[in-house]
Amino acid sequence: MKRRKFIYSVGMTGMSLPFLNANSAAAAAGQAPKARSVINIFLSGGLSQYDSFNMDVDKAVIADSKIIKSNVDGVRVSHYFPTLAQQMDKLLVINSMKSNQGAHPAGIYKMLTSYDPRSSITHPELGAWISKRLTTNQDSLPNFVSIGKGSAGTAGFFPGQWAALPVRNTSTGIDFVNRNAAVKKAKFKKRLSILDSLNGDFDQEHGTKDTRAYVDTYKGSLKFMNSKDIDAFDLENENKYIAGLYDKQEFSRSCMLAGRLVERGVRYVKVELGGWDYHDDLYGKLPSNAGKLDKGLSSLLTHLTEKSLLDSTLVVVSTEFGRKPGVNPNKGRDHHPDGFTCLLAGAGVKAGQIYGTTTKDGQTAADDVLDVTDFNATIAWRLGIDLAHEEKSPSGRPFKLADDGEARKELFA
Amino acid sequence: MNDGKRTIIACLLTLALSPILTSAAFAQPAAILEHAQQIDQLVARQLKQVGQERRPGIDDYTFCRRVYLDAVGRIPTIDELDNFIADQQADKRSRLICKLLSSKGYSSHWYNYWADLFRVKYVGDKLHHPGNYSEWIKEALRSNKPYDQMAHELINASGPLYKPGNGATGFYAREPMPLDHLANSVKTFLGLSIECAQCHDHPFDDWTQKDFYKLAAFSSKTHLRVDPTPDLEKKKYARDRKILKNKSFDEWIVYRESLRVKHAAIYGNGTGFMRLPHDYQYEDGKPFDAMEADVLFGKMPKLDHKLTKANIDALRKNNFGPQINSRESLADWMVSAENPMFTKSVVNRLWRQVMGTELVGPLGGLTQDAMGDHPELTQQLIAIMKATDYDLKNFLSVLFNSKTYQSKSLALNADAPDYLLDGPIVRRISAEVIVDSFLSLKTETPDRYVATEFRWDGFTHFYDQSQEMGVKDFVKYSTNGPGRGAFQNRVENQARKRNGAVGPKHLWRVSSYGKADRGHDVAMLLGKSDRDLIDGANAEPNIPQILYLMNGDLEHEITTHPKAYLHRKLDGAIRPDKRMEIIWKAILGRLPKESEKPLFSNDQDDLIWALLNSNEFRFIR
Repeated sequence: MKRRKFIYSVGMTGMSLPFLNANSAAAAAGQAPKARSVINIFLSGGLSQYDSFNMDVDKAVIADSKIIKSNVDGVRVSHYFPTLAQQMDKLLVINSMKSNQGAHPAGIYKMLTSYDPRSSITHPELGAWISKRLTTNQDSLPNFVSIGKGSAGTAGFFPGQWAALPVRNTSTGIDFVNRNAAVKKAKFKKRLSILDSLNGDFDQEHGTKDTRAYVDTYKGSLKFMNSKDIDAFDLENENKYIAGLYDKQEFSRSCMLAGRLVERGVRYVKVELGGWDYHDDLYGKLPSNAGKLDKGLSSLLTHLTEKSLLDSTLVVVSTEFGRKPGVNPNKGRDHHPDGFTCLLAGAGVKAGQIYGTTTKDGQTAADDVLDVTDFNATIAWRLGIDLAHEEKSPSGRPFKLADDGEARKELFA
Repeated sequence: MNDGKRTIIACLLTLALSPILTSAAFAQPAAILEHAQQIDQLVARQLKQVGQERRPGIDDYTFCRRVYLDAVGRIPTIDELDNFIADQQADKRSRLICKLLSSKGYSSHWYNYWADLFRVKYVGDKLHHPGNYSEWIKEALRSNKPYDQMAHELINASGPLYKPGNGATGFYAREPMPLDHLANSVKTFLGLSIECAQCHDHPFDDWTQKDFYKLAAFSSKTHLRVDPTPDLEKKKYARDRKILKNKSFDEWIVYRESLRVKHAAIYGNGTGFMRLPHDYQYEDGKPFDAMEADVLFGKMPKLDHKLTKANIDALRKNNFGPQINSRESLADWMVSAENPMFTKSVVNRLWRQVMGTELVGPLGGLTQDAMGDHPELTQQLIAIMKATDYDLKNFLSVLFNSKTYQSKSLALNADAPDYLLDGPIVRRISAEVIVDSFLSLKTETPDRYVATEFRWDGFTHFYDQSQEMGVKDFVKYSTNGPGRGAFQNRVENQARKRNGAVGPKHLWRVSSYGKADRGHDVAMLLGKSDRDLIDGANAEPNIPQILYLMNGDLEHEITTHPKAYLHRKLDGAIRPDKRMEIIWKAILGRLPKESEKPLFSNDQDDLIWALLNSNEFRFIR
């Protein structure tokens, strides 16, 4: 049996935990959920672990970044994250992530679906699985919301209703969720009543389950437009104190929106912050993006703490892969899927600690290697989802949320 | 019947003057109507056997809307509808079919179909620019290339990816892995799902993993290479590549990408041998055993083997023997008229496109012996496809001319009688057809800007130029050239200029949108295929889609836009009943019913909004 251990802050380094068999029957039967919601900040492009949160390597690997202390002894970060440095007591740093994909589209696909991309099927994203498994009749908001410009979030072979509801821009909110400005309420009502009569008439001779699905989805869309929870999408409604925690950058506002949605019970919110693919001029380009993450994530952690939501919300910071330990002649770093870094916060995670290592030369994940599928299994397990549950694709092939990934339960206290 | 025959001959005469149609399409008009009759007779016989009534025929309004949607992918404009209704000739339906199948709208609509099936899209990491591939499909539509020939060229394509006219190579380049490519080819052209057998014996079908590997032997050692061959690289390009890499990342990228346009190619034409995978688990073979090519069923083509299986077994395990052009034999077998699946699969597909439901079974999940609920009809359609020499326009013409097609559509619900493949079913129109139908309301010329007229040839043009370019020229191009990221834009902008006026974007058919995969947000919302998977489109409602239809741009583009074609038609009409008639004809393709007349009193824009949002608009009836 392989021993898995935590690397605690300095004084506790080397102390090991008992091995936990993540694939036991107990896990298969699920557990009492410790997390209600997930906020997944996805850093597409590939975050450089050696210029952010993995400082436990040779000095040469860190290159031009400077190491600074955090508010936890023994947890150090790069100088690009001064604000987060004061919040590291809320975060668990995982330095031993490993993926089998080294190109962006495939890497992102693997991270978000747990499967390798194939040309015969599209797998559902984690958010679609979570939404499908946890949605109940009482929910007035969709349980998979994606914030940001990237591709929204696929339902894969699940029906389209499980795809992400996209919010491309926090100032405009959900596209077309409001009536056209020129159409007054009474006029809109009039239009709907004409539509009702036309559809009712058409249904008599031509009604099928497909035409009725449309009628139902119009009803659902109207319910959504008129939902009292819809104001969650309007950041102007946030109270001054919470709003004041955030700066005006779009990523920070996206984090605020994610916090608001989780407060309303949305199960999975993906916030995408792209642009990390610095093959050249890394140290010229990184600071601005790192600044966004530093501010936005810090404010979000404070927001969730203030609202007492951090205990029930698992905050995940992930990326498709990391960067090479060596800086290339163009002063950039190339792709490196073996030993990259992700962060977790909330929902009882062992915060203020570092889990897993890379070798000192930064070439490969060393202790407590965490495969992408295990990472996703851990998230789902914390939500109380049965990892053994299978869903069949249209051609009858069975798939699981995290493939054969196993939950790493020892990440939680 | 005689009238009908004259019709198509008359149509043929007009077409002779048109440069678009040079193929033998419509050369046997009598045969087309005869084939349509054969379908109708079989359907009638089947109905009689079970004592079910024949469905009533449809009126001219319903026919006109339906055939526009199915043949050219949009609703008729109000003028087109009026002209058809006003036509007093008995053969007007046949003539309309003929006209539509010869129009630009046909190319636009069916481009969407084939580009989806063949999954034309960017594959970012490997810089597969789909322009040349897309151009190949457009050319096939322009020349009405027979379907079996299309399939053969796609399966057997090799050589440079961006060489003008060689775009069929895009089909192979579409897949990163050869075995996936084989499974997808079989699904595309034979309608069989054999992908499970890549890794294990098929759980509920006949195919074993060994069968799969024997089939894969035909195309073994075929591969896409985007960079120059190692030889060429070493001799010519490597030195400067290294210098550029250390000098400037941007210049290095332009060097790499511009070289790829010249050198990307499909290599290899098959060795006729394959080896079992390293983890082969069955008793009938060992890992790395040599497998001689064999077909899944039917007649095995003769291969020109230079070595025997024993010879190959004696070689190192990554050696599959010399190339013997066995991939061409695979193509021959796949598209052969004797291949029981090839023709069955395509008639199954086209029947579904036109009638809304499968003739034989799931498009990509047929079984070898499946013949559908009406085997004689399937048999007959296979015979018709063969008799028309896989001419797609002729085959569609047969379907459209049949009484079966021109009968009342059936709503498949609990109250429906048994469905006996006796006509179309009520179904939602595709995403592209919905969006293109909006065009028929915005402009009187909705087919003006279609994909098939636009030559997306930036890369092929650069390929031509690059034939004269030596290593120094590539270095110069990379150093003084467009810069990283702009390389592709530059060649595409040049292509755009060569194309001349392409019109305002809001008047393009969906097929014209450049990148084709992510090109049209509204179409994506409505379920357009992203072309990752075969048959990846869907017709389902979802909340963002409905929000768009209720509150989106349509308000400004059609519902209240004074310059929209619909409103210009309304300008002259004063009486409310006349206005209502125009709106109903333009959007629903019919006159208002007596029972709908109380709606007269509503505001015009409210009526337009309601009709655009109605099920009747987005379903074919």
